Amino acid sequence: MTSADSNEFRVGVRTWCKTHIPAGWRESQTGVGDDEFVRFQKAWFAELHRAGFAVPHWPREWGGGMSVAEQIVLYQELAAHDAPRLVLAFVGIHHAASTLLAAGTDEQRRRHLPAILDGEIWVQGFSEPEAGSDLAGLRTTARRDGDSYIVNGQKLWASGGRYADWCLLLARTDAKAPKRHGISYFLLDMTTPGVDVRPIRNAIGESHFCEIFLTDVVIPATGLVGQENGGWQVAQATLAAERGMTMLELAERLGNAGFGWLVQACSRPSRGARRPIDDARVQDQLVRFEIEIAGLRGLCRDLVENNDAGVAGAADASIVKLYYSELLQRMTDFGAEIGGLPTQTQLAKPMSSGWESGFWLLDFIGSWEWTIPGGTSEIQRTIIGERGLGLPREPSAV
Amino acid sequence: MAGRYADIHDELRSVAGDLLSKDRPAEAGVAWPLLTRTGWIGLEAPESLGGAGATFEEVAIVVAEMGRAAARTAYLGGAVLGVGTLIALRAGKSRDALLKDVVSGAVRTAVVLSAHHESAVVDVPFHIERSGGGLRVHGRSSFVPDAADAVRLLLLANDSGGTPVIVDVAAPAPGLSVTPQPVLDETRRLAAVTADAVPVDASSVWRFDGDPQARVRGLLDRACVALACDSLGLGEAMLAATVSYAGVRRQFGRPIGSFQAVKHACADMLVQVSVSRQLVRGAVEAVADGRPAATEAAMMAKSYVCGEAVGIVGKAMQLHGGIGYTWESGIHAYLKRAALNRSLFGSPAAHRKQLARRYFPRVDT
Repeated sequence: MTSADSNEFRVGVRTWCKTHIPAGWRESQTGVGDDEFVRFQKAWFAELHRAGFAVPHWPREWGGGMSVAEQIVLYQELAAHDAPRLVLAFVGIHHAASTLLAAGTDEQRRRHLPAILDGEIWVQGFSEPEAGSDLAGLRTTARRDGDSYIVNGQKLWASGGRYADWCLLLARTDAKAPKRHGISYFLLDMTTPGVDVRPIRNAIGESHFCEIFLTDVVIPATGLVGQENGGWQVAQATLAAERGMTMLELAERLGNAGFGWLVQACSRPSRGARRPIDDARVQDQLVRFEIEIAGLRGLCRDLVENNDAGVAGAADASIVKLYYSELLQRMTDFGAEIGGLPTQTQLAKPMSSGWESGFWLLDFIGSWEWTIPGGTSEIQRTIIGERGLGLPREPSAV
Repeated sequence: MAGRYADIHDELRSVAGDLLSKDRPAEAGVAWPLLTRTGWIGLEAPESLGGAGATFEEVAIVVAEMGRAAARTAYLGGAVLGVGTLIALRAGKSRDALLKDVVSGAVRTAVVLSAHHESAVVDVPFHIERSGGGLRVHGRSSFVPDAADAVRLLLLANDSGGTPVIVDVAAPAPGLSVTPQPVLDETRRLAAVTADAVPVDASSVWRFDGDPQARVRGLLDRACVALACDSLGLGEAMLAATVSYAGVRRQFGRPIGSFQAVKHACADMLVQVSVSRQLVRGAVEAVADGRPAATEAAMMAKSYVCGEAVGIVGKAMQLHGGIGYTWESGIHAYLKRAALNRSLFGSPAAHRKQLARRYFPRVDT
């Protein structure tokens, strides 16, 4: 894409943002219940889809086909105009789609990719009570029975599980094989008898995380993705592949709306006429964050472009995830400190907003949702040390 | 445009890396004639004057390799700033002649800017006064890189009308004193330069090509980005040395790099290095292209990269254990150089203070 094309595309997206982002959505979505949250998310997804902006990263034949350069512009503009985030559709358009495109059958793709565009919601069923950081230690079993598998077990931290139509499920199909070699990857219809979803209230009081109990759940053999016992490799490949563009979107949000709100918060008179930003230490901290965000955005652009060119390093995605998570935590912590007592009175943040909504204390508490899931910061450091730097593995690791 | 010579970058990096890592006592340094033969001095000089007609991007690669080797060279003062200043001036017979001599190695030069760089107003350390029909230069600057080795000093001065110019002064000269300032970092040579009514010819007063304020700003940006490149290179070297040591040093029956405490510290170093690379790349391109945002990018890179590098080298010393604290290990040399890079041409806090001004609406006075 030439810079002139890029500019024309940017102007187009900008115009669309100005006319299509629902006015006052932050206010109207603050403190809403589940039904309104789901309605709003689905409506926003449909709006993006009509504009061709919902799944820009998918191949053209399935409704995507935007170049990486255009996607970068798209996410920059959406972030700059403070668009609502796609929360409900996230697993479907990223994890589910990249899994199906990389390892699914033609039939599985035809069944699900168009359905995702029509609003089919997905949940990830990976973690378990005894399989968190040690995901490969998962115990949910899938026993082959004729043309089906019979699944029993329990999944945890399934974000959005209550609204999901389908689940990406990892289950053990060979108890005797070394633990990474006995896992298979399934597509599970959440309406199947024996599936029981129970919400878990998290630290900020929301209940989007769920437990999923699976009791004699029947999955037809056509729901297997890839080879039996080859599920670990499928999960690893697809998790890494989707991380680039999702991180780029988050970094752009942090750099636009997020940082903007932080400066705004610091510029508000706190006691009397004195503003936090008049303090040299506050100015210094803001600049530190701004510089770090500039570095993060560069890292994300590199990751996306290197993924696209097939030359990304083995630990590049982990570096980005770790750095973003901890920067988000430090920034929201600072926001909460600056926000002081008034931020204690912000009892609910706008649904569908980003991780830095300007409701600083809730944002800060919510930032552990980045440093813990998807591989904790400790796990990321181990991956960076071993795969990025080639340091020796733990003696006990398998 | 940045990236014009991208195809030769890998080769330049590897040639520079090889040459600079040759076994030699650190205090010996890399001799100027050797640097001259590499062609690195004149990378940015026009081909008509013996240079390579390349860009600041290629200079930045050489600088990073010098940081990686903690090499003692006069490249910062003599080439990055020396040649960088000469090409920022209006072409002319005397400027062209000096540039040609600098590139060929016949003459060594150094630029005398202000190493402090603490305020929004660019600090011009010298000024020209007209007295008794002649011109005289007054002023003082300290911590000037490589000034003691130079036979031609390029003083940044305000002319009698307050416009920044470069005054070409041959050293020694009456009224000019160049006093070496020994510093803990033995890989750099700094000096205080004092001009007390040094007489100069009008033909030695050289004007900048274009807006003088912007040009001077550009020289300081160049100094900041060069130091960021140097600190990136030395940080990368320390990370590599630490990873290699942690892979072979055994305690409790296993390589220390298999312990999470060590592994995670190395991972953090890689994250710092990765972020540093992004900021350096952005700043190098901005300076090479002469973009208006170059100053902002240079300040960001200088403050972050030179600040983090001290932490990276410190962690390298820590993870090497007792051996890391010895003189023999050489890590101390990297720590001192990183600390010097952090302070030279403005501290991280000073740069951040400048950047913070952008958060306030401009008040017209």
